[in-house]
Amino acid sequence: MPEETRPDVGNESERDPITGSSLSFPYMISAVLLMASLGWALYDEYYATRPWKDYQHRFVAVYSSWLKKNLPKQDSAEKAVKNSDTYKKLQAALDAADKAAGPDFDRINKELALLATRKSVVDDWFQSRRGELGAKVYDMENAGSQSSHDSQAAAIQKFKDEILTKTVPLENGQGEEKLSYNYDQMEKEYNRLKDRKNDLLSQQAALLRPSSEARKRRDDYMADQLVGLTRQQMQGLIDKMDHFDFDIKQINVPEGNLVDRCESCHVGTREPVVLTRRDVGPLSKDGKSGVEDGSRAFTTHPNLELLKIHNPDRFGCSPCHGGNGRATSSVEKAHGKNEHWLYPMYSPANREAGCNQCHSSDLVVRLAPTLSGGKELFRWRGCMGCHRMEGFDAEPERLFNITQQIKALETDKADAFRNASRMEKQADSMSGNAAAKMNQTAQNMRVSMSRVDSRIEELDTESKNLLQELKKVGPSLKEVRMKLRKEWIPVWIENPQHFRPGAKMPTFRLEPDEVKAISAFIWQSGVQGPMDNATGGDPAHGKDLFETRGCMACHSMGEDADKVGGYFAANLTREGEKTNINYLVRWIHNPRQRTLPYSPTLHRDITPADYQAKNMPFVFDLDHTKSPVDGHEMQVEQQTIMPNLRLNMGEVRDIAAYLMTKKRPDAETAKIYKDASYMDDPKLKAQGLKLVRNYGCAGCHEIAGMEDESRIGTELTNEGSKPIERLDFALLTRDAEDGVEVLGPNKGKDVAPWYSQKGFFERKLAEPNLFDQGKTKTHLEQLKMPNFNLDKTDIRQLTTFLLGSVDPTMPPSFFYKPADQRHDIQEGWWIIKKYNCQGCHVVEIGQHSILMDLPKYQDPDWKEQLPPMITNEGARVSPDWLVRFLKNPSLAAGHGEAENDKDGVRSYLKVRMPTFYLSDNEVRKLVRFFAAVSYQPEPYIQAKVEPLTPAEQAMARALFTSKEAPCLKCHATGVPAHDAKATAPNFLLAKERLKPGWTDRWLLNPALISPGTSMPSGLFKREGDRWVFNGQTPPSFNGYTGDHAELLVRYMFTLTPDEQRRLVGAGGGGGTR
Amino acid sequence: MDWGQLWRITSTPDNVPIVALLFLIPFYTWYGLRQAFANDKLIEELEKNPEMTKTHHRKTLPWKPGWAQEVHVWPFLLRVEFLAAIIVTVILMVWSITLNAPLEEPSNPTLTMNPSKAPWYFLGLQEMLVYFDPWMAGVVLPSLIIVGMMAIPYFDTNPLGNGYYTYKQRKFAILTFCFGFLVLWISMIVIGTFIRGPGWVWFWPGQTWDHNIVVYQPNKDLPDFFGITNAWGKAVIGLAFLGGFGAVTGGAIHKWIMSDDFSKKVYQKMSLLQYATLQFFLITMMLLPVKMILRLTLNFKYILVTPWLNL
Repeated sequence: MPEETRPDVGNESERDPITGSSLSFPYMISAVLLMASLGWALYDEYYATRPWKDYQHRFVAVYSSWLKKNLPKQDSAEKAVKNSDTYKKLQAALDAADKAAGPDFDRINKELALLATRKSVVDDWFQSRRGELGAKVYDMENAGSQSSHDSQAAAIQKFKDEILTKTVPLENGQGEEKLSYNYDQMEKEYNRLKDRKNDLLSQQAALLRPSSEARKRRDDYMADQLVGLTRQQMQGLIDKMDHFDFDIKQINVPEGNLVDRCESCHVGTREPVVLTRRDVGPLSKDGKSGVEDGSRAFTTHPNLELLKIHNPDRFGCSPCHGGNGRATSSVEKAHGKNEHWLYPMYSPANREAGCNQCHSSDLVVRLAPTLSGGKELFRWRGCMGCHRMEGFDAEPERLFNITQQIKALETDKADAFRNASRMEKQADSMSGNAAAKMNQTAQNMRVSMSRVDSRIEELDTESKNLLQELKKVGPSLKEVRMKLRKEWIPVWIENPQHFRPGAKMPTFRLEPDEVKAISAFIWQSGVQGPMDNATGGDPAHGKDLFETRGCMACHSMGEDADKVGGYFAANLTREGEKTNINYLVRWIHNPRQRTLPYSPTLHRDITPADYQAKNMPFVFDLDHTKSPVDGHEMQVEQQTIMPNLRLNMGEVRDIAAYLMTKKRPDAETAKIYKDASYMDDPKLKAQGLKLVRNYGCAGCHEIAGMEDESRIGTELTNEGSKPIERLDFALLTRDAEDGVEVLGPNKGKDVAPWYSQKGFFERKLAEPNLFDQGKTKTHLEQLKMPNFNLDKTDIRQLTTFLLGSVDPTMPPSFFYKPADQRHDIQEGWWIIKKYNCQGCHVVEIGQHSILMDLPKYQDPDWKEQLPPMITNEGARVSPDWLVRFLKNPSLAAGHGEAENDKDGVRSYLKVRMPTFYLSDNEVRKLVRFFAAVSYQPEPYIQAKVEPLTPAEQAMARALFTSKEAPCLKCHATGVPAHDAKATAPNFLLAKERLKPGWTDRWLLNPALISPGTSMPSGLFKREGDRWVFNGQTPPSFNGYTGDHAELLVRYMFTLTPDEQRRLVGAGGGGGTR
Repeated sequence: MDWGQLWRITSTPDNVPIVALLFLIPFYTWYGLRQAFANDKLIEELEKNPEMTKTHHRKTLPWKPGWAQEVHVWPFLLRVEFLAAIIVTVILMVWSITLNAPLEEPSNPTLTMNPSKAPWYFLGLQEMLVYFDPWMAGVVLPSLIIVGMMAIPYFDTNPLGNGYYTYKQRKFAILTFCFGFLVLWISMIVIGTFIRGPGWVWFWPGQTWDHNIVVYQPNKDLPDFFGITNAWGKAVIGLAFLGGFGAVTGGAIHKWIMSDDFSKKVYQKMSLLQYATLQFFLITMMLLPVKMILRLTLNFKYILVTPWLNL
């Protein structure tokens, strides 16, 4: 603004506020603020959003000081090893080898150096020439016309023929020479020098071999002797920390679209030492027991075995742990605990949930006991009765698929035959070649359909298998009329926990009217049939049998503190109150016996009248499974897990009599079991049917007319990745979000917010109707899930399993779906768990069976009565034999009760291997399981055993019966008088049953294979490269150079019944004890 | 009163501009009007005293004798604008450092979020969907808003008010703007942000946003109030209502314009086409508040019901 236009110049009070004022001060302030915000932005960019930098600096400090602290310790340990004689000897050998190689090694080195001077010149010369030639050849190959091609070819020839001259150092180092070469000569010289160099290098390597072998021997010795790292290795780590790269540490697995940067903060995870929390982080607030500036994030991975199987370079971190592997800006985000992140890191209690994404087909996941426990609970408590879960209870679906397949194949076959006939008719109207061709095609079509028949046959077998494998979690309710005391039913239904604390059946929240209606329905839909007469049992003997035959591997007896036995099946303390003794006898005699067979195709029970109509005897069992009505497979067994113990009728009656004594005094029970005549009211039946359907009883029980009911619950296969919005927290949503506890002792108090899958599952499992709280619903609208009375551990295990049941985020190539023998192990576990094999047997090394922990079997005499450990079964027995044994453990040829009333191998044991009536499929899976666990090759080819010469036989017999190795003292022989004291199987079984290799190893060291066995160890000692008997050998052995153990094995495998009888008769060995 | 709920809404990073808008819009409206009223007073003085008009062209207060009549854009305007630019930069930087972009869950076609809200500047449009058919609220009305604003210069025949704040000389324009922008646009954004909860249900401020809320709001069309079920009847009553609405609203607007000498003068300068266009846009604009009130008080759904279009 020009000065002269301002009339008020000089008058301060009248200065124009716009033209006369300065904005310097606001500008200064704004500029300062702008610079400050810029500074803040830079700080934010470099540090605030990159917290891992601080972690790395702290880790380097903490780890370096740890290494330096531990260096002297490792150093002195290393020195101790170095001072040992062996090490010194190895070091001397190394020095000697080095010295021996020395002069030649130096000479070759010198030659190599001289060669290199010539080679580098020739290489440059030739390679540049070759490059030029390559370009010319390319031009020629891509020439536009033949003439251009030819002229370029001529030019190339000229190029190659051109002679060039170059001064080149001599190979011996004495001066230079002038070379005049054309292209080919140059190439020849180039190749000669290359060959010469390789030759010299291989000479050098050969020269160094003795010394490098000596060095390896020395270093191996060091590694064996020294726990931890050597000084040099430690120093290497210290140097690494001194030159640490402060940057994002990232694992990238393109196959899984995986980028995990966890190790940016968890820097120490894969260090080759063991860093515990104490080593790297503060444990207590006083700072005394930890490291300053340390962090729990710095420990090495606590489970190295797990990490070894799952190499992080291949699997990353987040597929197992959850969280957001890409995030680096805060702990919260990296662990995926921020809102909306779909895969938050699993909390420590449910950590094993992460295994299930890839291990969903395993029932038993080694190294993940919590998850395995959850899966087993899910199966054992029958969750899949209401909730579909991929892999669990798959038999009904497969059965349905197979039926459909059979139908489709039969249609295909009929179509093909129709087409074939049509073609033949067409051929009739044709002539010559065409007709012949058409006829041939028609015939081929028929022939190819003959293969379909074999497929159908196979599917039929499969469906028979499946019917045999189908089991229900609860007992059949078709037989209640025969089985139960009528008044007991409503008492049980109202709350099974009242009758049997710890019962497997959950508690439904039923109203008294509902209990009545359901009882009436069940009672009236029961069938009637013949039963055995159960008079004259001896309860005392029955008790003895119950405790020794193996019943207690599954069943328990006694309540509260007195409870003894297995968890797998019912507690029988009050059995006498509920059961009809006649039915009980039939049940114990053969639990699989059915009153009427059920036809899945006709959807009804087949009655004797149906058989009569076809003039067939009313016989149905596993050998007679076809329906008389439509010829399809029927269910001929009870769908129970309980096996047949092959007891004789006397024993059965004794046990039944004993169980009938297990009840409360009549005076007490009279008050509980009230009149139940209403159960015969037909009006209640219809009402009951509705309720039974509503509560999904058919999920666990076989109920007349409800065999094909579908599951009533929601599918849980991907429950862990269900969006939180789909979980109905109902009126408790706000409490969950705000962290107000609604259950247990902390009810009403502030806890961590639980609006998460974990929070939902845990509370729902503890109180299934929790989310009905405050809702107005009619009784039938309310949540149906019954209360399973789970304890804290159960809930944790089940929650872990549910959290892990996710829609996979990784591609299928990451899943554990092995195609080799490991697959057999996966499948086998389902059978092992299904039939509770582990109740009697040790299947897995380190596992305890139920029996071995019972008080009775703590006595040394009873320990010998334990069923065998089968950790090594696949190596021990022939698979062919095992198939036979599993099908019928008595190994008897016929079906007669008397001949089956024994154990095929260990007849001396009181406990008995029952008949499980396994399907062929299950037997196959089990046999393959045992083979796979013991690393046995498939298919099995029996090893050949060399026959004995008469001399050898005499020697072996002498040893077999000698005083020092009285084999027959313990081993059974089949002679009753002798076998009364036997504690080991009959040798006659060996040939069929055992594998010679295993038998040999067993003889040498039985305690290694089966700790605690009564078979003595140390029978043989090593002498040169053979095993000889460790004691007085019979005189005939003088001069024998063979292996004594092997001789005995061959003898056992060729032992005949006659020979054994002779030996027993002669009082061979300890038979005369 | 659920303070937690209120805090959750106001503290969401997404809602920062709307919370700021709650304070900034009234402030600047007041600030602008204050200057306009002050200037009106000055204009009055200037008009009364012809002497003063010779020396003072600046129609802005405060004014003192001796102050410059005019100032140059550079440096006097630009230096203030530049200062403002710096301050806005600082605010934006601090904002971007302290609040991260509010990411939500990955999209899932089988599970849409609830409430599912448009970006804040479109919440007004989304709220309009409650009152009109999608083609009306989503296509016709937004287009009319834009076309209407483009048409303003062509029917605005008032030459006054350029370069200074004034209320008196642009009373009609200012009031129409205040109604259209503050009442119809801003308040709809505020309703969309603070009032509409899960299921787009009306929650008063401080009421808990319950995802399981159950409300009973059966909507009725105009013919339903009279029990008309015949299609022709429906169309006739709808058209009649619309015609009546147009006539009443248009008459009221006309009367209002005529009630003031200044506006009357401006009106007299307009051609018939200009005036008709103005009336069309004003009547259409009035549809929204009328429909809103009908919907919120009477659960009124459509006025005109035909098989082809509903209004």
